[in-house]
Amino acid sequence: MSAGNDGGMRAVAVNMLGVVEHPSLGDTPYRVDADGRPYLPVGDGGLVLGVRLGDPVSAVAGDHAAPGACLVHPEPAARHALVSYGCIGNPAEVRTGRAAGARGTVLGKRGEDGRLITAFRQEDLARLRPGDQVTVRASGQGWRHPGVPPGVVVMNAGPGLLGALPVSWPGHGPLTVGVRMILPSRLAGNGIGRPAAAWDLDLQLAAGDSDAGDGVPHGADVLLLGDLAAVSDLDARHNMGYRRDWLTVGVVVHGSSPLPGHGPGLTPILTGPGSALAAAADINGHIGLTESALGLQ
Amino acid sequence: MNVTTNDPRLVRQVLTGEVWPPLADRHVYRTGPDGQAFALPGMGGMTLGVHCGDPATGYASDHLEPGASVRHRDPGANMALQFLTCVGNAVRVASGPAAGAVGHVIGQHAYVLVDFAGPVAEQVTTGDAVTVTAVGQGLALPDHPAIVVKNCAPGLLAGMPGGTRPDGRLEVHVAARIPAEAAGAGAGMVSEYANTDLMGAYAGLGEDLSLGLEGLRVGDIVAVADADHRFGRGYRPGFLTIGVISTGQCMLFGHGPGPSSLMSGPADAFALVDDPDANLASWLHGDAEPGL
Repeated sequence: MSAGNDGGMRAVAVNMLGVVEHPSLGDTPYRVDADGRPYLPVGDGGLVLGVRLGDPVSAVAGDHAAPGACLVHPEPAARHALVSYGCIGNPAEVRTGRAAGARGTVLGKRGEDGRLITAFRQEDLARLRPGDQVTVRASGQGWRHPGVPPGVVVMNAGPGLLGALPVSWPGHGPLTVGVRMILPSRLAGNGIGRPAAAWDLDLQLAAGDSDAGDGVPHGADVLLLGDLAAVSDLDARHNMGYRRDWLTVGVVVHGSSPLPGHGPGLTPILTGPGSALAAAADINGHIGLTESALGLQ
Repeated sequence: MNVTTNDPRLVRQVLTGEVWPPLADRHVYRTGPDGQAFALPGMGGMTLGVHCGDPATGYASDHLEPGASVRHRDPGANMALQFLTCVGNAVRVASGPAAGAVGHVIGQHAYVLVDFAGPVAEQVTTGDAVTVTAVGQGLALPDHPAIVVKNCAPGLLAGMPGGTRPDGRLEVHVAARIPAEAAGAGAGMVSEYANTDLMGAYAGLGEDLSLGLEGLRVGDIVAVADADHRFGRGYRPGFLTIGVISTGQCMLFGHGPGPSSLMSGPADAFALVDDPDANLASWLHGDAEPGL
């Protein structure tokens, strides 16, 4: 059996159309932060310039700002499919507009109405405009990734993605993943109770001088876009929810948010019991998903 | 509760809604914690046989909404109904065989949830109109400026035990204390709408899913640790949120019985008293006057 097969079942790739999102606001400009202060959300979806993999999640004064272009589809059911089937590492190509022909990569996803986050070179992003069409070659859901022990479920990961990340399995014992930090499940915010194949999980990390509690330090200041992070006692196989001695690892795909219960977003890629999946935190030296690994430099 | 409020300044407004039907789709099934498919009633309609004081869990149900689940047909009017209606508000049946009967709001869950006495509930069905006398948003406690009160009828507050202590803290009686790890779906949403599902209350399922919350009852007043619900719903060490359990048994993973938010502020602004009688049934459904 070769990689990509599962019990004799061949994995399938699908070309799907996404449209670069235009941000959308209601008839009041303000949202309300955790201390009751109004703020105007900037960068919440749509096409964001100058925010890049490797930037601290709290580097810009944005709200859920993602490094690149968010893709959507005008038909809600098609939008959910785009987000559910698109996987990190899948190739994307611009079909219309001044950036036609530019190639990028799926970086992650956001939940609720659904957004597929795609990374492009900055010069290509600068030629894109909302409404431009992008085709995504979606594959990964249902893929059997090589080098993953039984009990660990992989999701939202395109073929080959795990090989570009600090993931190792010696053939016995748990799969070990290098991460920036391991967070307790009480920091799981928006996205908890939602299906991990189509949502991200916002991490309720404090920025600045605040402390997330119990020794979790200054999370939003050291966590970088593209980092891997682990959440303990979290099972993401179906909906995301509390399960003791379970671990979920994901990619940090968007930046901080002033909204209570929100924060930098984690797109889950690996989930399993502690006996099969382990995380090794390296708060200073960790290298996660980078522009060079995605061929964007 | 022995506490000074701004009750005389509160505005009472008459709102309408209707008992909303349960909703399903053609794929029928949803997914439990272990991947088990289920098709179970609980949300929407007029759910019978579960009232304040009854166990919240232990039913073959998902997102159990005790009593009537009420919405308004117009989207904007519905948000007004959901945001302005408070726990303890009186609700009068306005059509159908139970017209004239009065019940009380026990919480929010993207529906306004209304508990009626059993014989009344048996006569109410989907589509019946109800009239809500909404009062409570804007309620403030001048002696406790750090505490934000919401979704709480002034009459409910008056009926609860506790109040301002000599040391300046607000004494609140609670039936259960909830660890921060339990906060599930609802995190990140506004706190005037729906509620916070509590994980760790999956009666009958795995021990590794339990946070010891299987004993919650509908109507219990609870304290959620490290939760700041003043302007939304988020994790915040050193804060506390008081809520009322308004929904019950869930099979959907990451969901569970949920408190509707009533008060939130720094933990040191509160003095909690563990009291098994801290339940809406103790104050709302005896001889309580309509119009709380």
